[in-house]
Amino acid sequence: MLKNLDKMNELLIKLAENGINIGPESFKKIKTLKNPLEFVSTLIIKIKSQFKSKELVVIKDEIINSYLEEFKNSASENTAETIAKKEINKTEEINKNKETDENKEINKNKDENKELNEEINKPNRNQDGVEGKFNFEILIDTSKKSYTKGELVDFVSLFKSRFEKLSKILKKRSQLKVVKKISEIHAQDKQNDFSTIGMIKEIKKTKNGHIFMELEDETGVLNVLISKDDAELIKFSEKLVKDEVVGVLGKIGKNSKKDPKNGSKKESNKSNSLSIASEIIQPGVTRIDKKKMDFSVCFCSDIHIGSNTFVEESFVKFIDWINGDFENEEFKAIGMDIKYLIISGDIVDGIGIYPNQDKELKIKDITKQYDKAAELLSKIRTGVKIIIGPGNHDASRVAEPQPAVPKEYAKSLYELKNVEFVSNPALISLEGIKVLMYHGRGIDDMALGVKGMSMEENDKIMKELMNKRHLAPLYGERTPLAAELEDHLVIDDLPDIFHTGHVHINSYKNYNGIHMINSGTFQTQTEFQKTHNINPTVAVVPILHRGKFIEINFLSSQKKNRK
Amino acid sequence: MDYFERLEKETINLYKIAEEARSKGFDAELHTETPLAKDLAERVEGLVGPKRIAKRIKELEVDEDGNKTQREKVAFTIAAEIASQSPDDMSDDLKIEFNEDKSDINIKEFLAQKGLRAGLAILTEGVVAAPLEGIAGVKIKDNSDGTKYLAVYFAGPIRSAGGTAAALAVLLGDKIKEATGLSNYKPTEEEVERYVEEVELYESEVTNLQYSPKPEEVRLAAQNIPVEVTGEPTEKVEVSHRDLPRVETNSIRGGALLAMVEGVIQKSAKISKYTKTLELDGWQWVEGYSKDKDKKKSEEENSKTSKNKENGENNFNVAEIEVKKEQPKYIQDIIGGRPVLGHPSENGAFRLRYGRSRNTGLAAMGVHPATMELLQFLAIGTQLKIEYPGKGNCVVPVDSIEGPIVKLRNGDIIQLTSRKEAIKYRNQVVEIIFLGDMLVAYGEFLRNNQKLLPASWTEEWWIETILRSEIYQEEEKNDANNRIDINDLSKKLIKNEISAKESFEISKKYKVPLNPKYTYFFGDISVDDLNILINWILKNKGKYIEDNEFILEVSPEKRIFEILGVEHKVEDNKIIINNDNGYTLVNLFKKELSSEKSKFTDTIEAINSISDVKIMNKAPSYIGSRVGRPEKSKERLMKPAPHVLFPIDTKGGTRRFIDEAAKQREVRVEFSRKKCPECLTKTNNSLCPKCGAETFPGNPSKKNIGLTRKLLKAKENVDVRKSEEVKGVKGMISESKLPEPLEKGLLRAKNDVHTFKDGTIRHDSTNLPLTHFIPSEIGVTVEKLKKMDYEKDCYGKDIENENQIVELRVQDVVVSKDCGEFLVRVSKFIDDLLERFYKMDKFYNVKTKEDLIGHLIVGLAPHTSAGVLGRIVGYTDAHACYAHPYFHSAKRRNCDSDEDSVMLLLDSLINFSKSYLPSTRGGSMDAPLVLSSRIDPEEIDDESHNIDIMPKLPLEFFEKTYEELKPGEALDYIDNISKHLGSEKQYKDLMFSHHTSSIHAGPNTCLYLTLGSMKDKVDEQVRIGELIRAVDQRDVVEGVLSSHFLPDIMGNVRTFSKQKVRCTKCNEKYRRVPLSGKCKCGGNLTLTVSKGGVSKYLPIAEDLVSKYPIDPYLVQRLEIQKFGIGSLFESDKSKQSSLDVFL
Repeated sequence: MLKNLDKMNELLIKLAENGINIGPESFKKIKTLKNPLEFVSTLIIKIKSQFKSKELVVIKDEIINSYLEEFKNSASENTAETIAKKEINKTEEINKNKETDENKEINKNKDENKELNEEINKPNRNQDGVEGKFNFEILIDTSKKSYTKGELVDFVSLFKSRFEKLSKILKKRSQLKVVKKISEIHAQDKQNDFSTIGMIKEIKKTKNGHIFMELEDETGVLNVLISKDDAELIKFSEKLVKDEVVGVLGKIGKNSKKDPKNGSKKESNKSNSLSIASEIIQPGVTRIDKKKMDFSVCFCSDIHIGSNTFVEESFVKFIDWINGDFENEEFKAIGMDIKYLIISGDIVDGIGIYPNQDKELKIKDITKQYDKAAELLSKIRTGVKIIIGPGNHDASRVAEPQPAVPKEYAKSLYELKNVEFVSNPALISLEGIKVLMYHGRGIDDMALGVKGMSMEENDKIMKELMNKRHLAPLYGERTPLAAELEDHLVIDDLPDIFHTGHVHINSYKNYNGIHMINSGTFQTQTEFQKTHNINPTVAVVPILHRGKFIEINFLSSQKKNRK
Repeated sequence: MDYFERLEKETINLYKIAEEARSKGFDAELHTETPLAKDLAERVEGLVGPKRIAKRIKELEVDEDGNKTQREKVAFTIAAEIASQSPDDMSDDLKIEFNEDKSDINIKEFLAQKGLRAGLAILTEGVVAAPLEGIAGVKIKDNSDGTKYLAVYFAGPIRSAGGTAAALAVLLGDKIKEATGLSNYKPTEEEVERYVEEVELYESEVTNLQYSPKPEEVRLAAQNIPVEVTGEPTEKVEVSHRDLPRVETNSIRGGALLAMVEGVIQKSAKISKYTKTLELDGWQWVEGYSKDKDKKKSEEENSKTSKNKENGENNFNVAEIEVKKEQPKYIQDIIGGRPVLGHPSENGAFRLRYGRSRNTGLAAMGVHPATMELLQFLAIGTQLKIEYPGKGNCVVPVDSIEGPIVKLRNGDIIQLTSRKEAIKYRNQVVEIIFLGDMLVAYGEFLRNNQKLLPASWTEEWWIETILRSEIYQEEEKNDANNRIDINDLSKKLIKNEISAKESFEISKKYKVPLNPKYTYFFGDISVDDLNILINWILKNKGKYIEDNEFILEVSPEKRIFEILGVEHKVEDNKIIINNDNGYTLVNLFKKELSSEKSKFTDTIEAINSISDVKIMNKAPSYIGSRVGRPEKSKERLMKPAPHVLFPIDTKGGTRRFIDEAAKQREVRVEFSRKKCPECLTKTNNSLCPKCGAETFPGNPSKKNIGLTRKLLKAKENVDVRKSEEVKGVKGMISESKLPEPLEKGLLRAKNDVHTFKDGTIRHDSTNLPLTHFIPSEIGVTVEKLKKMDYEKDCYGKDIENENQIVELRVQDVVVSKDCGEFLVRVSKFIDDLLERFYKMDKFYNVKTKEDLIGHLIVGLAPHTSAGVLGRIVGYTDAHACYAHPYFHSAKRRNCDSDEDSVMLLLDSLINFSKSYLPSTRGGSMDAPLVLSSRIDPEEIDDESHNIDIMPKLPLEFFEKTYEELKPGEALDYIDNISKHLGSEKQYKDLMFSHHTSSIHAGPNTCLYLTLGSMKDKVDEQVRIGELIRAVDQRDVVEGVLSSHFLPDIMGNVRTFSKQKVRCTKCNEKYRRVPLSGKCKCGGNLTLTVSKGGVSKYLPIAEDLVSKYPIDPYLVQRLEIQKFGIGSLFESDKSKQSSLDVFL
């Protein structure tokens, strides 16, 4: 019983300060409590959570009564809860380490949206073990191999690495077996034909229809003119972009003070001679031998789980098909033949990727988005290995190469035994078949920067990237690059399969023996795409069925089979 | 002598001095380069020419009957006349100009271009730079059918003309096409599609347009506009519709898109109207837009109503959701360190009070100085982003309105009525119950076409109800002796001397509502609260004894008092209410509310059901706001700031010291010299120093500038020995590359002033309006005022002492004190220049800033090219420039935190030269190409015509505000400038309705500026938010994160990974780091985006996240960013351990 007047007033003032009015009856009851102050504090928190902070609230006696009941019971409840917790801990400690367990508890407590939590079932089917045997190997993965400190030297190192790697590839070409460094090319030379390798510093079309290019190596800069009279070379050169590495054959001209850009002052550097290119060589792709595939692989990307435009029915239908539940017998057999499912980025829609994204999200919590992904993928039979790389919507850094999605956000996915996480890009081997997984931001740069290239015909872009032997050659435009000491975006090793996503438009092309696949999306047209008139390929999944390319449409009942 | 004549006479005197100085031939030109213009016609001639066009414009301005012609008609006629004249009839001036034009332009194109520029200049009042800079040129090109058409080339600065003028420029092109017998432009399908693509590309790659047209809308415009709307490339972004034969560039043509979209399409309704009055054919198609828009609107409305029907009883919810969606802009982007002062229309925010004080209007609004002092974030001239009537304003102190009501730590509730009180109690405040009034002129609603909101119950309204009551009117006839003395009452009201008892008696006698002083904020509490309060008072009414304090026990009901704004004290757990409030409470609450409480729709209705005097809603309209840009008053400095436009390359080090450069063997730099036609001497002067002949310009080239000898000579010439501090420039950015005389630099450095790119010396400050001043407050004596021809105060009495209120002359300005000190230095520089360089007499001879009162200045705003003549009458403590609304409007500024510059007139006349202006597009903006000597309100921006000029607002106006009228519908009850244009009254008797005792009674510096780090600013922002009742603090924290810190962090991470590098030695920039790792000059390279810059807001954001229970969505976003940043900056080798902690 509270008798001390001061304390009583303290209660009243505390309530008043928070804009809460209570009736005299209730006040009497509160006074009889053992610890009225504590109750009042709880009451304030509970009530204020329901009202706007500055609102004046008058609480009826009945409501106070119900809170009082709750308060009185809570002490005993609390003890019960802790006991239960301890027990769980004990049992679970046997299987798992303590740290993750604690995390789980925290997550549980954090959960506000119970409904959503119930909706997302805990993965069950394939946690225990994996059926079948996989000859699976990760050949190149950059996760946890980021050695950059974000300093100037790191940027230098990145581009030197690119230059060296690509030079090495170029030097295999007969015309480039012997090349000069740029500083060694002089107009005074009697022998004025030259061959060299350089990184493109600038490239632009002049008013007169020539192409003017500045080529750079570690020794200097060479001005190269591609004459408009050489129509073939001009056409070829229109596909060149800044920062790619090429070999150039040509003749060196006289010292020229003014370059064709109408004499911009910067270029009137004495040492810069103007040369005329006769041939430009990209690292390119040599035809690779066809390898035998006695299994099937499914290619997905841009599933965008969590977005309100994610077509869950179609995705479930797709999973059912992998599990052998499909009306068409022919396709059913293919589904049961799937051994690998590749997901090259944007498995979830992510959070805060663009302004006001929350308005287009069904699940506004990144962990829950991955939980939902885990719930869906857990239904896939354990005879299928799932390989997941990050995209620009995933919880990773934006700069490429992107490390694999951290476990902290995708814990439930990590718990699935048949799931592997890789970086973006990554090179993996499936039963000896090499797959280059890349989400595909580099495609943006090409579509915007190169004449005749578009998102729709991204197979053309993929071919061009293969020719450049680099996944995102253009620096400083759309694709952020981390200043890694080594350029992991160089395509050193030619894959059997090159898989991308990102643009939401399916494409397929076999280029010199390489299957190039872009795998569309499981997200219907977004607001952004609507305003930009982009028509996505929704829920049409590309499959390599024992080496043969097919697509199955899970959006409607119609099935398409395209060779 | 007439005010304007007097100003002109003094101006001409200064021109004479400047001309004499120039005639010595030491400058770029022999004559001063800013022509004087008395009116619009002369400004147009001065700005764009052709010569002698002013006369023709003036002829056209008046029709045969002596009536004024519509401005647009004049513009179109002029454009057509100039363009269609036969080349043979061209005036000699034009011929010379044509021959001087070096571009390969044919004569017809030249004339068309001249006509277009002149027409556009008339439409933009001859002030903005758009006619010069916004139009790159005009060409006559070929259609595929062999006909010829007109192409208008727009450039980026067309933006400064505004949408309507940009659209009119297209119409002018059409008029010229018609007058010169050209055909319509017939676009190819590809050209049309190029526009469609370009508009979309502009919006996705560059920035949003004010109006986003659908592709069909762009197509409609592109297919039908009878001239080609094209232009210069403004962005690097290229289109995919490339290499069209008739379109010169593959890049985005920003100016053309602005003219088409924000002009023709967005302003289609106006265009439709103009084409009719101007009798232009073939524009019927623009009506398609307005129909489209109407259709859209009606469709939306239909869907709304149908939705409502479906939902039936859920109507309320639907409405609520829709309202929530459309949050006002100000609250959508909350910025770190700029506190939110009130959520939209939230109780306790600023109360809307109609009226104008002598320092408000033109988007400046009044706030009580106590509020400013209490918040500390509001200084005089600080910008607020507001919920309505516009988007923003500037706050100025007005002390005749309500101050804030606060709760102190000891539980007291008090209203702060002065700065002194605010300072005294500031540290004890635990809650700001009410922010106080915001004085908003009716004109602000009119300007923004914002519908009127219910007026607050205020003293001025109360007085009107008494005056207009039947009983008072009757008394006037029958019982004048017994009648209340209204003047006396007003005085007592101001002094707060009317008791509650008296107030009740007046209300009863005249059957008018209760005095606002004793009317509490009943609108802020619920009927239930009211009921609780009534019962409590009824229970305790026995404790009230008349003429004594009313003392009550502390109880939860206290909170209701707090919200009602009933002042009280708390002592020994007792609530002590003064006699007047006690009297009011006991007399208001005489009986219980009817048991059917639910029948009342609001608290005001409920209280009126039991009160025997009528109770009005004290605060029906609250205005939400947040702090915007701080006020400013600073010398304009380029970076780095030069004393003289003299090129020294990099020889003077990064700080560009001339002295240092002079020690070098040679300074090779690109510049030009003039040449004497007689003796072939090369010189910088306009007269040959050897033979005295007039020199002519030479071509710039790179050569040794001979600095050492020149510097020595210059020092001797003006007798200055010190030159260590004198700074030059790296190179000249003008076309002629003619350097300034070094002497000017020596003398500028001596007087500690710096030059701007055009040779003038500027001081920038925030614009604030002023219609009346008190001599003592601006530091001017009666004697001085009389010298400046001020004779009467605003009530018509002779000016005898320094405390009378005087109406400000329209071109007189009150600049900040630091601006005054600065101008004193400028005047000393000018005197030095006259005496030592030109060998003439000193002119200013001033010692203190007070001596400068009466001297002439030039006001000049960015994006314009016409200076406005002004005269200094005094100084303010505020960091702002107070001037007549006309003066600001003449520069095309308003007062919602616009800032612009002043310079001494003589400085501008002597030192400004077009030869220094940058050769790049937009280079002639913000340069005094012409000087407007006289302000005619009819020839300035019509924003100023909305200024209210009434000494008080009429009863009908207050009543009408409750009808949610469009502002135009209440115009009958208002007197403003637009009603007096062209009459004598446009210059005088512009009154104000609310007095303020000082125009600088408030903090001078916004707290934002004095707090150092962003963390301190955010801490203070959060603290202020917690104090204010009208602010939802959690929302503010989330807002700062989601609209400032997170986008900033994300943007910085992105730019970090795409960044350029820079040479530490020569400053050369590289898009990508060179493979050599070094600059070509051999210098070291450095990143342009530093690691620190990327992560600077991370700790503050984390701090906020840890302190407030904010949306987990934001918490996660921040975590992911932190992971990304860690991954970019920390090697996995070194961070293995540290990262694990975070994860």
